[in-house]
Amino acid sequence: MASSILIKNEARLGLKLVAPAIGIIGLLVIYPIFFNVYLSFFDVQLNGSKTFIGLDNYSDLLANPRYYHSIGVSIIYLLGTVIGTTVLGLAAAVLMNQEFHFRNIARGLILLPYFAPVISVVFGWQFIFDPVNGIYNHVVVDVLHLTDTRENLIGNPDSALFVVILFDIWKHFPIAYLLLLAKLQSVPKDLYEAAAIDGQNAWGRFWHVTLPELKFVIATVVLLRIIWNLNRFEDVYLLAPNVETLPIFTYYQAFAGIVDQGGAAAISVIQLLVLVGLIWLYVRKVLKW
Amino acid sequence: MKKPLILASVVLANGLLMNQLANAATVEFWTAQTQSDRLQTIELLASTFEALNDGVTVKVVGVDENEMATQMAAAVAAGTTPQLIEVNSEIIMSLGEEGIIDTKAHQGVVNTIGETRFHKGALTTLTSPSNEYYGLPYHGWIQGIWYRKDWFDEKGLAEPDSWENIEAAAKALTDKANNQYGILVGTKPDSYTEQVFTQLALSNNAAEFDAKGNLIFNSAETLETIEYYKELAKYNPPGPQNWRARDYYLQGKMAMFFYSTYIMDDLSLAEVAKGSLSSENFAELSGGTFDPNLVQNTAFAPIINHKSAASYGTLSGLVALKTKNSADSEATKDFIEFMYDPASYITFLHMAPGGMNPMLKGIAEDPAYLDDANGVFKLYGAEKMTQIVSGFDDIRSFSVVKGKTFPASGAIFAKSVIPRMIYDVTIEGKDPQKALDDAEAEMKTIIAQ
Repeated sequence: MASSILIKNEARLGLKLVAPAIGIIGLLVIYPIFFNVYLSFFDVQLNGSKTFIGLDNYSDLLANPRYYHSIGVSIIYLLGTVIGTTVLGLAAAVLMNQEFHFRNIARGLILLPYFAPVISVVFGWQFIFDPVNGIYNHVVVDVLHLTDTRENLIGNPDSALFVVILFDIWKHFPIAYLLLLAKLQSVPKDLYEAAAIDGQNAWGRFWHVTLPELKFVIATVVLLRIIWNLNRFEDVYLLAPNVETLPIFTYYQAFAGIVDQGGAAAISVIQLLVLVGLIWLYVRKVLKW
Repeated sequence: MKKPLILASVVLANGLLMNQLANAATVEFWTAQTQSDRLQTIELLASTFEALNDGVTVKVVGVDENEMATQMAAAVAAGTTPQLIEVNSEIIMSLGEEGIIDTKAHQGVVNTIGETRFHKGALTTLTSPSNEYYGLPYHGWIQGIWYRKDWFDEKGLAEPDSWENIEAAAKALTDKANNQYGILVGTKPDSYTEQVFTQLALSNNAAEFDAKGNLIFNSAETLETIEYYKELAKYNPPGPQNWRARDYYLQGKMAMFFYSTYIMDDLSLAEVAKGSLSSENFAELSGGTFDPNLVQNTAFAPIINHKSAASYGTLSGLVALKTKNSADSEATKDFIEFMYDPASYITFLHMAPGGMNPMLKGIAEDPAYLDDANGVFKLYGAEKMTQIVSGFDDIRSFSVVKGKTFPASGAIFAKSVIPRMIYDVTIEGKDPQKALDDAEAEMKTIIAQ
């Protein structure tokens, strides 16, 4: 009897302790999500008046070819950036785990792109790829004579997507590197020694020891990168606003000219469902957590 | 101690009272020039007018251009309408329909100054369907083609004032292998592209609306303009471009570019900087030598001819509002005429040399006008200035058709429908007719909302 009162009291205290957190999450996360879902069924005017239009926002969206185009762009962007950052991050981590002179300085330098403010490096990249004055065209056309035609790689919609992917890989591989290196340092040396005794060469040791040890960290990196990059806006928009990934499409839909809040809410509801679905699939089926 | 204080207050109060009695008329002047240095200049003009006209008070109020319409609505509702405002032509035309404008005062000013002294296109922009003046054009900027006169002369090319001449020159002066480009037309989906396209479209008699307000954008004229635009874009620097590419002109890598008269400052600053920026100081810079004579070698073609002559720009005007007090109304008319007096007019325009251009003929040639504090106009000379402002004779836009404004045109502008159409055609390679159909469909959706 006494113990059940104790348990009850403890549960009550527990509730009280988490209440502020629940309140804040409810206010800042749960409420906006539900309000967003609610808005997606309305035609919203700027002055706040709303007209219920059922699923019209969704059917308009699904009939818009630009929407499918932006989904395609987003998929290429996600595949390129997630694979690129993970592979490059892994390579850098394995390299930086070796002993060599000035290793600490090198470890620090690798992090620089990640720390640099987006806006300044975006301008830097734009100068590099400027079609008339940029160093890229200068080297390719004037110095190496690889081609006669100057290209605007960032402006040209066919190549812009790849520049944006390259930019994201360069800017964000350090975070993958950081997480992977931290884990690498905790892999026991004797595992490698045992593998060496078993006759494994460097590649075999990487394949049979390093990768299995890193599995969950790699999985975390991939998961984080998917979540971040499905919603990535500023890098893409600042560097090449003509690369229409889903967030950019949403922005044009919602904030350019006449504001279409209902339509934009519908896009983000779908995007949320896709993201939740993806994560569930990934965690349950791929990682089997 | 107390007595002098009381005495002083009585004298002061009397003074104020006397002053108020003597001030039979008040002109409350709302200006869209809200920067403090500009307000100071306008205050100075107002004080000068007060000194010249006993018993008139001019009250200068700065109101942000974007809030002018709202503030006016509130003031009219509260019965505190100002006597005079200075604002852009779109707002003037929308106020015109509200019946609060003193068009008789405008007619009076035009009669005094002389209708022919105003640039014709500028005055037409502010004329109502029943031939009344909703406002008096005061200053404005225009867009046109700025080009390398020396290169044109070298190749024997004609002035880029017609479709044929522009295309021929763009072709002749493009040398992509040597990083040289013939022309800059906007191809990014932003407002610069819309401005360039509008001028070309107007010269081909294309329009968004007819005088009855029907959408007539999807026409053979518009299609021709898009196709011509696509041709010109071939001589652009690679990829999507906007006004920022004017730097290539300053670097001597481009022959022509569309720009407003606000460039005059930049060009002359380059002139000022030539002492330190000459090419021998930067010998290692490849790809172009700095041209110390850029201003002398630059000419301006403000009017483009095809099916008709068109220039593009925006202007601001002075608007007298209806008032019950006839003394106020008379003082307002006097004040407007004072503002058009060369001495005060030039003081006003010099707040932004090149950006604010005169709407009266003769001002641009005035030696006082050409002697601005920064020395901008000295570099250009009287003849060039006259040519620049002559663009206001033929100024037109999409939103005003025969004195009627179409608010939908503003909404279409805000949604970047036209520039996105141009981007699709020039950069994405979309079929012009298909792009035009899509743009029209989008315009219809916007109008329906």
